Amino acid sequence: MRSFFEGHKDSARAACPLPQAKARSVPSKESTHRPTVYLGMSGGVDSSVSAVLLKEQGYNVVGVYMKNWSKDLPGMKCPWAEDLADAKRVAVKLGIDFKVFDFEKDYKQKVVDYMLSEFKKGRTPNPDIMCNQEIKFKLFYEVAREQGADLIATGHYARVGWADTSSEGHPQLLRGRSEEPREDGRDERPEEDCIVPTLLRAVDEDKDQTYFLYRISKEALAHTLFPIGDMKKPDVKKLAEEKGLKNAYKKESMGVCFVGDVGMKDFLREYIEEKPGEIREIETEKVLGFHDGAIFYTIGQRHGLNVGGGLPYYVVKKDLEKNIVYVSKNLNEKNLWTSEIELEDLLIRGELPKSGEIEIRIRHRAPLIPAKFDEGKVILKEKIKRPASGQSIVFYLGDTCLGGGIVK
Amino acid sequence: MIYLDHAAATPLSAKVKKAMEPYFADNFFNPSAPYFPAKKVRAEYDTAKDRIAHTIGAKGNDIVITAGATESINLAFTVATKKVLVLETEHQSVLETAKNFDCKLIKVDKTGLIVLNDFRKKLDGDVGLVSISLANNELGTIQPLAEISEIIRAERQNRLKNGNKTPLYFHSDASQALNLIDINVARLGVDLLTINSAKIYGPKGVGALYVAHGVKLKPITFGGGQENGLRSGTENVPSIIGFAVAAEEAKTHLNGNRKHYEKLQKIFREELKDAPIEPIFLGNKKHQLLNFCPVAFSGIDAERIIYKLEDKEIYLSTGAACAASKGEKSHVLKAIGLTDDEIAGSLRISFGALNSEEDIKTAAKEIKTAIEEELARLGGESA
Repeated sequence: MRSFFEGHKDSARAACPLPQAKARSVPSKESTHRPTVYLGMSGGVDSSVSAVLLKEQGYNVVGVYMKNWSKDLPGMKCPWAEDLADAKRVAVKLGIDFKVFDFEKDYKQKVVDYMLSEFKKGRTPNPDIMCNQEIKFKLFYEVAREQGADLIATGHYARVGWADTSSEGHPQLLRGRSEEPREDGRDERPEEDCIVPTLLRAVDEDKDQTYFLYRISKEALAHTLFPIGDMKKPDVKKLAEEKGLKNAYKKESMGVCFVGDVGMKDFLREYIEEKPGEIREIETEKVLGFHDGAIFYTIGQRHGLNVGGGLPYYVVKKDLEKNIVYVSKNLNEKNLWTSEIELEDLLIRGELPKSGEIEIRIRHRAPLIPAKFDEGKVILKEKIKRPASGQSIVFYLGDTCLGGGIVK
Repeated sequence: MIYLDHAAATPLSAKVKKAMEPYFADNFFNPSAPYFPAKKVRAEYDTAKDRIAHTIGAKGNDIVITAGATESINLAFTVATKKVLVLETEHQSVLETAKNFDCKLIKVDKTGLIVLNDFRKKLDGDVGLVSISLANNELGTIQPLAEISEIIRAERQNRLKNGNKTPLYFHSDASQALNLIDINVARLGVDLLTINSAKIYGPKGVGALYVAHGVKLKPITFGGGQENGLRSGTENVPSIIGFAVAAEEAKTHLNGNRKHYEKLQKIFREELKDAPIEPIFLGNKKHQLLNFCPVAFSGIDAERIIYKLEDKEIYLSTGAACAASKGEKSHVLKAIGLTDDEIAGSLRISFGALNSEEDIKTAAKEIKTAIEEELARLGGESA
């Protein structure tokens, strides 16, 4: 494992007692003490395989479909009912209980309204991150716990580890994957305060979803399992086929279901009125064309500008008050690049290294870039394309996702 | 495979398939083209329309070919002006179309049969269109159309007497019934009748609307003026040929079908008698399509039963496929006063021509097993 903890292993002092490595046998089917896991099931292959794995590991699995959105949009039928049916079909085949949690109202309030208000401010929010923070790892977690769940699980590509923070220097990573349930079902987490849950990158580099998960709380994380976090996607698919799960062939859902297929702009149009304005070249102030609302454009955007001819234009600036979108052909335009990113709404789980040296990811699946975090700012060695305000910058140290912040 | 959802779709009959075959590639011509092979196709197309119309006691010119029942219904509603009356248990294609007008719903009783008094009460001088299906698509309940059309006739008389010039039309959706009921438009007293190929072992995507003389519809598609200007677009020749064969087959085998389904019904009901939960057979036993056997097992989740049976290659449906896919409770089952538990535990079963007695026995047995398993799961949960 490429963990940053490894370098510190020898020097770490074990001031905090390590949790006892008790025998963790898979309970027998008759056992009434099996820990109960509420698993978010979307009908897709990842959560379906997660259900299979949890069941095989001996958990009492309850499949839950979170109904977050059901509204059809022009040109796109929301597939929630089919997704629900697919999820339920898998649950029935595995012989597990199945529930539907209706979070539609909360999702609208906590995710969609947030998203719209951010866009109205000219920012580019990430609804998936908000959904994980507010819905899947908060509301779902809370309701599941109320209903008697010991743990929750999702089909995300990520892992939960446990780190000992008692030693000086960096925390000691104790284990990097979820283990089989204990017989009493209660003691999944180490009891000691100094042992904290950490979010770890998935084994499948290409699928790692920690970017979307960086804002989930420590408490939720401590009660979360990611059953497929140490699997590669092709193996997940293969397992689904072996288990006869028909949705192994289903089209994959991307990000937020309704935005995935419709596109953010079309979605926003449903809620934000179009307001025609000028597209100007930043260097010359010349009007090159017209747009249908500055709100719909993002800095760095190249496509979808109604400006033709020659080299592509990039959006380099927006003046929301005057409703003007500024563009440039100059790829070196200063607004497009930066080596310093100011952040707000920081959420850091655990401790940052004293040196402030970390790696960052500016969007899902983007490469990790070395950076230094200092007084609310991320400082980079080389300039990068400026991330839009409202976007998230996520911090990593080796395998660990430490948290991150939102671009000011 | 044991397929028990013939109310949703029927397999293409071999005879139909064979009849359609030459019209895909060999006789592909546009019926409106001027050369002889195209003229020949036109003639065959017109003959097919005649054949379809004959099965309901009409002439080829009286029917408009459409892309299926939904389109027929939408077209039929173009006759409406402001107020329409529809049965509360109508299919979505009727209910949603009716929403474009001032729509009132007519009540049904516990068996899904129209409450005639409620109908009489609501049939005031402003109603321009009444739409009541011949047989319900979830319960198979057959409505007394002749009686209903008598009431409509009396209302027309009444309007003439009072000098009320609002025209009143009667449409019926007979999609489910063509292979089980001897349909005759004159006897039923309808002005507009929707029929459908997909439910009678014909191809999907083709239907027809019978339009009585003097009923003026407005087109919903515009173009080359086909189908008397009511439905522009090049004719779907292979499908219409197939529809004609399917309609004739339905008519020919009417009696044979009835006997076959009566036997299957008897076996199925008998086999389910000792089910772990007492079955509640839905609909009106006296006035029900013979291939329909909707049944509720209160307290179980019918969807789970369906997914279990799916593994055994037994296919049936819950309340209604349409409603189920939107995640809403069946409005039909609500209308007949079922409790939420009964609705959740209801299966829609509709037999078909290819089902054998053995199939029905196996299906009943597997349904019982699935229910037992569910009860065990639920029991385990509460323990």
